[in-house]
Amino acid sequence: MAEESAAGAVHLLCLAASSGVPLFSRSSRGGAPSRQQLPFSIIGSLNGVHMFGQNLDVTLRSARTEDSAVVWKTFHDSITLIVLSSELGCAELRLERLLELVFGAMVLLVGLEELTKIRNVERLKKDLREALAGFAEEMGSVFASLVAGGRVVVGTEGWWRLGAPEAVLLPWLVGTLPFQAARDYPVYLPHGSPMVPHRLLTLTLLPGLELCVLCGPQPPLSQVEPQVLERWWQPLLEPLRACLALTPRGIPAGFPLHPDILGLLLLHLEQRRGLFTVDLGGEEGPSPSARRRLLRSFYVLVTATHFPPEEKAEEPGCPTGVPRACYVVCGAAAEGPQGRQDPGAGLRLVAVQAGPRRLLLLVSARSPTYALRGLATRTLHALTPLL
Amino acid sequence: MACFLRFKKHIMCINSLDPHKQPGLWLRSSDSSDLEAEWSDSVQKYGELFYLELSDSEEESLLPEAPAVNHVRFSENKIIFDEDYLREGRKYEPRLKKFSKILKSRRLLPKRYNKKNSSAPVSILKHQPTQKMGIILQQQYKDVSVFVNPKNATVIKAKEHLKLLEVLLGIIHQSKWRRKAEGANRAKLVVHGLLPGGPAMKSGQVLIGDTLAAVNDVDVTSENIERVLSCIPGPMQVKLTFEIANSGQKETIQPKQKKAQTTGSDLVRLLWGEEVQNLQQNLQSTPHIIMYLTLQLDSETSKEEQEILYHYPTSEASQKLKSVRGIFLTLCDMLENVAGTHVTSSSLSLNEKLVHVAYWKEDDKLLLIGLPAEEVPLPQLRNMIEDVAQILKFMYGSLNSAFCEVENTARLDHFFNLFFQRAIQPEKLYSRTSPQPYDASSSLFVDTLPGVQWLTLPQETQMEIDMALSDLEAADFAELSEDYYDMRRLYTILGCSLFYKGYLVCSHLPKDDLIDIAMYCRHYCLPPLVSEQRIGHLVIWREVFRRHPLRPTSEPDAQVFREPEGRYFLLIVGLKHFLLCVLLEAGGCASKAIGHPGPDCIYVDQAKATLLQLEGVEASLDERLASPSNPCLSSADWFLPSSRDKLESLTSSPLLTKLQHTSRAITSPSSRRRLFSDYSLKTRKLSPSRGSGGSDNGVEGAGEGSGPSPHTTPDPLRKQGAKEAQSPGGAQASGALLKATKKKATLPNPFHLGRLKKDLSEKEMELFDAMKLTSGTENTLFHYVALETVQGIFVTPTHEEVAQLHGSIHPQLIRNFHRCCLSIRTIFQQSLKCEKKKALNVEGNPRSAHAASFLSPVKEHGVLFECSPENWTDQKKPPPVMAYWVVGRLFLEPKPQELYVCFHDSVTEIAIELAFKLSFGLAT
Repeated sequence: MAEESAAGAVHLLCLAASSGVPLFSRSSRGGAPSRQQLPFSIIGSLNGVHMFGQNLDVTLRSARTEDSAVVWKTFHDSITLIVLSSELGCAELRLERLLELVFGAMVLLVGLEELTKIRNVERLKKDLREALAGFAEEMGSVFASLVAGGRVVVGTEGWWRLGAPEAVLLPWLVGTLPFQAARDYPVYLPHGSPMVPHRLLTLTLLPGLELCVLCGPQPPLSQVEPQVLERWWQPLLEPLRACLALTPRGIPAGFPLHPDILGLLLLHLEQRRGLFTVDLGGEEGPSPSARRRLLRSFYVLVTATHFPPEEKAEEPGCPTGVPRACYVVCGAAAEGPQGRQDPGAGLRLVAVQAGPRRLLLLVSARSPTYALRGLATRTLHALTPLL
Repeated sequence: MACFLRFKKHIMCINSLDPHKQPGLWLRSSDSSDLEAEWSDSVQKYGELFYLELSDSEEESLLPEAPAVNHVRFSENKIIFDEDYLREGRKYEPRLKKFSKILKSRRLLPKRYNKKNSSAPVSILKHQPTQKMGIILQQQYKDVSVFVNPKNATVIKAKEHLKLLEVLLGIIHQSKWRRKAEGANRAKLVVHGLLPGGPAMKSGQVLIGDTLAAVNDVDVTSENIERVLSCIPGPMQVKLTFEIANSGQKETIQPKQKKAQTTGSDLVRLLWGEEVQNLQQNLQSTPHIIMYLTLQLDSETSKEEQEILYHYPTSEASQKLKSVRGIFLTLCDMLENVAGTHVTSSSLSLNEKLVHVAYWKEDDKLLLIGLPAEEVPLPQLRNMIEDVAQILKFMYGSLNSAFCEVENTARLDHFFNLFFQRAIQPEKLYSRTSPQPYDASSSLFVDTLPGVQWLTLPQETQMEIDMALSDLEAADFAELSEDYYDMRRLYTILGCSLFYKGYLVCSHLPKDDLIDIAMYCRHYCLPPLVSEQRIGHLVIWREVFRRHPLRPTSEPDAQVFREPEGRYFLLIVGLKHFLLCVLLEAGGCASKAIGHPGPDCIYVDQAKATLLQLEGVEASLDERLASPSNPCLSSADWFLPSSRDKLESLTSSPLLTKLQHTSRAITSPSSRRRLFSDYSLKTRKLSPSRGSGGSDNGVEGAGEGSGPSPHTTPDPLRKQGAKEAQSPGGAQASGALLKATKKKATLPNPFHLGRLKKDLSEKEMELFDAMKLTSGTENTLFHYVALETVQGIFVTPTHEEVAQLHGSIHPQLIRNFHRCCLSIRTIFQQSLKCEKKKALNVEGNPRSAHAASFLSPVKEHGVLFECSPENWTDQKKPPPVMAYWVVGRLFLEPKPQELYVCFHDSVTEIAIELAFKLSFGLAT
C-alpha cells in the first residue's frame, strides 16, 4: 500500500458534512484516473478527525507528511471535500484551489440548493456520480488557473465578468463533454447563480472551435443555430480559421519573443485572464508536459511564498514585504535515468510583477542569470497589448 | 577520590582570592583555607550546575535609566540560580524552606511560627491601596526582598568587627538608643541608618525609621537578629519584613520600579527561573503548546489523559490545543499508513487564528509543538522542533528519559518557558545596546541555522587563542599529571570552543558537538547575555549525550576490544564576555565516572584560568568587532535617491532596468523618459567623484548630503569611463539633472561622511576596494550570511557592524532579508532532501526523471524588493524607493554551503557570481 501510493497518487473525497456519508471519491495516479481507492476505514478517519475538531471549535485545515499532503475544506456547512495528494511538490495552496474548483464544478452541475439542503443523499449521490463521471477526473489531475484545456479566444464583456470558478470551469466543461455539433446544457454558475440554472448553448463552428453562449430559458437551440451561424459567423470564416491556427501556441505566430523563452504564463489580476503557453523556443529543452509542470510548480512557489494571492494582490500599503521580481535556477544535479544529461538542469524561472500584470517565464539554461529580469520586463512590455 | 578532594581545596583558595590580579598564578597549592567555590552550594543532585552571577560593574550599566535607588536585588553581586528552584516551580521557595529548616533545627524559630505561617506579616498595603492619612494608624508592614551574601561579608566582618545586620543587610541599628522599658528581648530593630551601597539602601525601599520585624518570616528582635542572620547558609534572597514608620510615606515607597527594568534584566531573571510578569502576560493569550504523547495506550487502565506524558503550558489558550490531541494522534497513525511517511505537520484554525503543529515521532512517542502561524512560519517551526528534540537528546540522552522522569518536569517547564519566550517574543529577550530590533528579526532565521556564528580574526589573535585552548586541552596541569598521583585523571578533554560576545572565535570541537553545544547555549540565551552584560562568573556543568558516540570500528580487532562506555560532560565557564565550552570524557582514557559526578574544581579552574589568560586578547577582539569587516558593507540609506529623482522614477516603471534600455530599441516616449531618469540616477551616484576625485570626495560632497557612494574607487577616470559606457544616450540630460540634484540635499548622512573624513586615507580607500565583493564602482553589498555546514559555522556581519550602518531603512531591509532568507532556505532544504533521496536510490528509477520536472533541486533563488523610508511625513511626495535583491545560493560541491546576499539593484548581477565564489574564506 505504502509503496504504491508513493508514486504520485491523488485521492479526492466528497462527503456530506453533517452525516459523513461519502458522496463520491475519485483517485488518480501519475495524472491518470485510477480505480484504486482509499479503504473505507481511512475515509472514515480522515473525515472523523475533521469532524472531531469541528465539534471543539478547531478547524483542521491541512496536514503534511514528508512527501504528501491532506487538505480539508467544508463548503456551506454541507459538503466536506478532502484531498490527499502524494504528488511531488504538492503544495497546500494548490490543493486548496483544487477543492474550490471541485466544489464549483459540483455547483455548476447540480446547483447549490441541492448541495446545501441534502434531502435525499442517495439521489444526490447518483446525480453527482453521473455528472462528474468525466469531469472530476479531469480536474483531479490538472491545476486550476494554469492549464485550462480549452482557451477562450474571444469573449463578450459579459463573459469576462463571470466569477472565477465558472470562468475557469465552463471552458473545461465544454472540453470534457463528448463531441457534438450543438449542445443545450443546463448549468448553475457557482459564483453568479448557484441556485437558478442557466443554459449553456454550444455550437461547433469549426472542428476544435466552439461557440459558447450562456442564456436563460429563451431562445431555444433550434432557433439559435441557423440564426447565429448564418448571420454572424459565415462572413467571419477566415478569421475563425486564423483562430484555430493560434492553438496550441497561444500567441500569434511571428510575435517577437526571445528564443530562450521556453514557456510563459501571463496573468492579469484585475481582469482575471491568463495567457499560457509552453510551445516556445524550439524543440530542445524539456518536453511540453515537463515545462508545464515546471511553470506550475514555480507558480505555486511564488504565489505561496512571495507574491500575495491574486485576490489580494493590489491592496495598497504593503510595499516593503512584497517582492517585485524573483527568479529560480534549477540545480544541475539530477541525472537522467541512463546517465543522460537532465533536461531540467540549469533551467531558469523568473517572475515579475508590474501593476496588475504578473509574468512567469521558463527560460533555457543558456540565458545568464543577471539578464533574467531584463528579459522578463521586456517580454512583459511586449505582451502588454495582448492582455 | 580523596586525593582529588584535596586538590580541590588547593585550587579553591587561589580561586577565591582575587583571580583577576594574578592570572599567571593559577596553580600554587596553599594548604590552609576552608573557603569553597562560590558555586559549590548550587550543585544539584545529579551533579548538574547552572551558576550565574553578574559582575559588580554590571549593575550600573544594566539599569541605565532607572534611578540608582531603585536598583533591585539582582544587581547585587552574587546571585545563584540553581535548578532547585525550578524543581519546586517557585522562586526561592526551597531556599526559604531550607533556611527555615535550619532555623527550626537550631530552635530559633518560635513555636507559633507554624500557626502564623499562613497569615505571615505580608504587606497589608496591598489590601488598602487607597488608605488615607486620617485613618487610625495601624501597624503596617512591607516586604522587601534583598540579596545577601555572607561569603562577602565574612571577610569584612572579620576585619572591622561589624555586626551582621550591618554587614549583610546594610542596616545600622544603634542598640543604645533603644528604650529600656521594652526590655532586651522586646527591643525593636529600628533602622537608624543605612550603609551606603548596602543591600538595604540598594533596594530603595528601606527607610530610616522603619522597624525590621521579620527575616524570612522569622520574627526578629535586637536579641536574636545576629543569630538569625548567621544562619544564612550562602548567597541568597532574603525577605525582610518591616513595620512602616510613617504611612504617609507610603506613596513614595510603593511604586517598585518594575517597569524601569530593562528587558535585559528580564532575561536574566528568566534564566534564574523567576516568573517575569510582563513577559508572561503576552504569552497567556497566544495559543502555544508542547506535548509529549504516547501512542501505545494501555487499554486496561483507562485513565483520563493517560496518553499525555508531558505538556506545557496550562494557559487557557493552550488548553484547546490540548483537547484536540486526538486529531494529532489519529493523523499520526493514519497518515503513516496511507502515505508511508511520518506526519510532519498540520495546520488548524483556532479562534480565527492559524496555528501550525509540528510533529516529531520517535519510537512510539510523539512530540508536538504548536505555535501560531503569524509568530512562527511552518518551515521555521519544523526546524525548531528538530532543534528541540536534538537539545533534549543532548541533555538527557533520549526524549523518553527527558520526559518520562517525574523529577524533570520542573526543569522542562523552565526549558519550554524559555523556548516559547524565544519563539513568540524574541524582541523582549534580546535587547542589545542598539535600539534597533535587529536581533528579534534575525534570531528567527539565524537561530535555526545548523551552525555557529563565527568571527574571523587576525591571524596572531587566532593563534594566541588556539594555543591557549590547546594548552587547556592537553590537560597537562602540573599536579594533574597521572604520574604525580599515580592514578587516572577524571576526564579527558575532547575539545573546547571559545565564544566572545556570543561569536565563536575558536573551536576545537567536532562539528556535531559544536552545534549541539551552541544550540544549548542559544537555548539558554547565553549569547545575548554574554554580549550584553559582563558575566561575573558563570559555571555550567552537566552530563551530555553526544550524537554519535564512538562506536566500535568495523575492523576485526574491534570485536575483541570493546570501546569502554564513555560518558560525556559539558563544562561551560563564563567570564566577562567570554564563554568557554569544554567537552569532557569520562571512561576511555580517563577513569570511569561513577554516579553523577558534580563539576570538578580542577577543570573549572583550569578553564577559568584559560579565560584569564586570554584577557589580553579581549582588546584585539573588541577592536575586531569595532572595525569594519571584510567584506565591507553599505547602508541601504546611502542608496536612497533624493526626492526629486523619486518623482521621476515614479513615472517610470520600477521594473525597468538599464539592461532593458541597452538591449532594446526605445519604442515610446514614455520609455524614453524612463531611460533618462534611470541614467540620471546612475550618474548622480557617481557624481561626487567628478570634481574632487579620490577619497576626499565624501568631504566635498558634504553639501550634497545624499551622495550615496560609500566606497568609490579613487580613480575618477575609471568612473568617467564607466559612466560613459553605461549611458551612451543620456549623458547630456543627466548633466542637467545632476545640477538639480546637487541643490537638493534632503537626506544627509552624517555617519557616512564623518567616517570618510575621519579615517579613510587614500590608501585605506584602496584597501576597501580590495575587500569589496560587488563589481562596479560602488559597494552595493548590504548584508550577507554564509553557511558552511561541514564545519557547522556561518559568517555574517556582526551586530556591531550592523549597528554602525544605522539608517532609516537599513534595519527594515535587514529584517526583510532575514525573512526572505527563511523562505529561500526552505526551498533549499527541500532540494537537499531531494538530493538525499536520490543518493539512496541511485539506480535510475522512473521517478528521478519525473522529479526533474519539478523545482526540487533549486540551486539559486533571488527575490527583488523595493523599500522606502518608514514614517514618510511628506504628504505631497511619495517616498523615495530603493530596490534591492536578496539572493540565496546552494552549493553541493565540493562541500554543502549556503550563501545569502543582499545587494542594491544597480549592480550588474554578475557580481553575485563573484560574491559566491569568494565565500569569505570559509572554504579553505
